[in-house]
Amino acid sequence: MNIKQYMSAPVLTISPEMTIPDARELLRARDFRHLPVVDENGQLLGIVTDRDLRSAYPSTVLCDERSQARLAALKKTPVSEIMSRETYTLPVEATIDDALLILDRQKVGALPVVDENGAVLGMFSIRDLIRAYRGLFGLGERGSAMLAIEDDGRPRPLSRLCAALEAADIHFTRLLKAKQKTDDEHFIIYLRVTTYNLSAVRKILAAAGFFEKTDH
Amino acid sequence: MSTAKQALLLVSDQEFLQHHTGRDHPESPQRLQAVIERLETSSAPGNPLADSLRIIPARAAGREELLTVHDENYLLRFEETALSGRSYLDHPDNQMSYDSYRIALLAAGAGLAAIDRLEEGGQSAALALVRPPGHHAERAAALGFCFLNNAAVAARYWQQRHQRQRIMIIDWDAHHGNGIQAAFEEDPDVFYLSIHEHPTWSFPGTGWSEERGSGPGRGATLNLPLRPGSGDEQVMRLINEKVNPALAMFAPEALIIGAGFDGHRDDDMSGLAYSSEIYRHLGRCAAAWAAQFCPGRLLSLLEGGYQPELLALCVENYLDGLLKRGSDL
Repeated sequence: MNIKQYMSAPVLTISPEMTIPDARELLRARDFRHLPVVDENGQLLGIVTDRDLRSAYPSTVLCDERSQARLAALKKTPVSEIMSRETYTLPVEATIDDALLILDRQKVGALPVVDENGAVLGMFSIRDLIRAYRGLFGLGERGSAMLAIEDDGRPRPLSRLCAALEAADIHFTRLLKAKQKTDDEHFIIYLRVTTYNLSAVRKILAAAGFFEKTDH
Repeated sequence: MSTAKQALLLVSDQEFLQHHTGRDHPESPQRLQAVIERLETSSAPGNPLADSLRIIPARAAGREELLTVHDENYLLRFEETALSGRSYLDHPDNQMSYDSYRIALLAAGAGLAAIDRLEEGGQSAALALVRPPGHHAERAAALGFCFLNNAAVAARYWQQRHQRQRIMIIDWDAHHGNGIQAAFEEDPDVFYLSIHEHPTWSFPGTGWSEERGSGPGRGATLNLPLRPGSGDEQVMRLINEKVNPALAMFAPEALIIGAGFDGHRDDDMSGLAYSSEIYRHLGRCAAAWAAQFCPGRLLSLLEGGYQPELLALCVENYLDGLLKRGSDL
């Protein structure tokens, strides 16, 4: 659940003196979207995104003369002039839940990951988040299938479910009980089994009093 | 050849009943037993399939033929598991018996025997009634009741033995054929097309529509997942809108059908809801595709279908469709 195993690291950082064209070329060459800007001690000063860099360039509707002048000026402009300084960061011990909440709330695509001294250790992006949750949920794991089961409302549903599956030697890798949004009082149990024989699984579940939810 | 009633080549062999999977296993010898019995009746004089089936025995696939798809150590491990009397390979789903390795070699070789006969000419199509099935088997792993990838071995054989380079595999078993896809993921000459229950709800959890092959094989994989509850209408729409254009684009020199019958609404191994009539339609489609792109080079391999009597009916419908080519496309 820690971001450390999913973040991109080591990460490419730049100094605040790097010029805008150099930074743009670097992003393009590496196919990155975010560049952390750090001082000589590796301390985070800000973030430059591909969008910041694109916005810094002259609009194509400008006349040639003004456009040329603007480009000439850009060649000498350091990234420190356009970087975002109010940057949210993730401490390296943050969990993927912390990351999800901050990425969602701040509506950003990636966050720098820093150590206790504020030095940049890596970047954690929405892509990294998707990868992490995909792994947790077992999406695309070959040889498995996900069943959605209605909680019957009787006590200890998960223990009963596990006991029934284990007694029948049905292997499973994920078990998750969640409230379904459309119906507040209703719980759905998601179960990822690693067997082809779903027919047998359904029979075992039915014998234990559980039924698959088919309209999930 | 134009108006005479054409015979279909049927690879059928009592040996396939010798792969035992234990009590209450869905992939049972009874499946094939039911099919054989039903076809015996329906091909008797005076019945619908009379004089239409030419039955040949299977042959064992050779080591070199298997190595085009499988890892040598895996073959050794499979054989050893069978001979040592262990009850399954890689996962308890894949139940087996002492004879299972030998029978799996026959299942992988049945298609090869059929291909040789098809290449001699004079036959319009072949169906190999085999078990164990094959489309989940990977290079070095058994999965989902499958040990050797019968369709993948057949595709490689068709290329290497008979120089048919462009092979299309159309797999309409209810489950995604992960093993076939993996075997030809990067190969532009073997097109894998699968219609199956959506991986969010179904085993083996692969076969997403965004998987289109990779590297040089990009575009030569097409996954067409269907929501649970989908029926004949959805299948026919996919055929018109997706399968026919893919065939026209790829123009195969040979066609292999992964014929699984577990999408039927009364087969509880999938949530699909086909009727038994869809298989007649699929038979007609397959015959028409072969007539258009690769006359006489159409091989169907049995994959799933787990209710023995129902499977027998669906196979018969499919054969009937294969024999009346192209009338309703």
